[in-house]
Amino acid sequence: MILKIIIGLIVGFIFGYTLQRTGITKYPRVMGLLLLKDFKILKFMLTAVTFSMIGFYILDGIGIITLNPKSLDLGKLVGGLLFGVGMGLLGYCPGTMLSRIGEGKKDAWVGLAGMVLGILFFAINISFFKTHFKAKSVSGDISEALGIHPWIIVPVAAILFISIIYFAHKKVDDFKQNF
Amino acid sequence: MGLVYNLKSYSMQMKKTQNGEWHWFKGGVIVSLLAMATYVVFQALSYKSYPFGITASFGSIATVFQVPFASLAENPVIQKYSNSPAALISITMLFSVALGGFAAAKINNNYAPEIIPAVWKKYHGPALWKRYLTVIVGGFFLGWGSVLASGCTTGNILQGWAHLSLGSLVAGASFFVTGIIVAKILYPKAGGQKS
Repeated sequence: MILKIIIGLIVGFIFGYTLQRTGITKYPRVMGLLLLKDFKILKFMLTAVTFSMIGFYILDGIGIITLNPKSLDLGKLVGGLLFGVGMGLLGYCPGTMLSRIGEGKKDAWVGLAGMVLGILFFAINISFFKTHFKAKSVSGDISEALGIHPWIIVPVAAILFISIIYFAHKKVDDFKQNF
Repeated sequence: MGLVYNLKSYSMQMKKTQNGEWHWFKGGVIVSLLAMATYVVFQALSYKSYPFGITASFGSIATVFQVPFASLAENPVIQKYSNSPAALISITMLFSVALGGFAAAKINNNYAPEIIPAVWKKYHGPALWKRYLTVIVGGFFLGWGSVLASGCTTGNILQGWAHLSLGSLVAGASFFVTGIIVAKILYPKAGGQKS
């Protein structure tokens, strides 16, 4: 039990610290990303994704971990679209919301209340969402779906992510005043 | 000569980036190491292959509502959150992520409490109710959407994209579809003038 608390403390602290320190919690940065004018968050995200993707597939390959890809269902698409509306209105996502609370941004507390209401709304109507959005699902990662070996997909995805980072970095200056 | 100039301008650019903030590359590497370490530790402790996510932390707040509303105790979603082997980790993370943000701001002298984001004030006025109404509605969509898509940006992008999960790729991409539309509606005139 103590172990779980210690893990939670370390993981959360490093995560919250990094988000704040990298400037991911800033309202103008998130809105700048959604207005396609500031790609710092995108570059940060894709850097993290590229490194962990390679790491996860190596760790899976040598048998230390088992990958657990999330399956595809209608809820992923509809939920993702709803989430996007929320992210646009708030100017932050759940992780940065918590970090922003620590930073002393008062409106994140209101966002937290809204978020809990949203989860409760889902919980109360679970049978409806389950039958309409979760009934049919396709499991697995891209390599399983396409039937191509992960060691071909992973380098291709890495090159794709790195090219997006490269072009975002070349084309857009994160230091300009957007607002 | 050209190379020296390029290196010089690059290091100047790095310095400019470090002016108050970490470079995106540094932040990205730290988060990826964190994601991998957490995954390995969770699996070693046999909490199944539980990727770290923040949605579950908010889910654990929702479980508190079992106390006033007894019917919720039977609810499968609430049950899932309260019986998860990682529930205690999720609850702890609720506080530790905020603590991390607080420490980062305090240690580096940019702790700046605010009630409404300055950009919002500039475009939509200082009215408190306007911002708070937007935030509570936005929060509702954020919570509803993240449980329906089984994960938020942390779970579906930082973890799900790294696993190349079919579901996460769809969810993560759709975050931006509506996010971009809403941002454009809120800030139709925001330009990219050089400061």
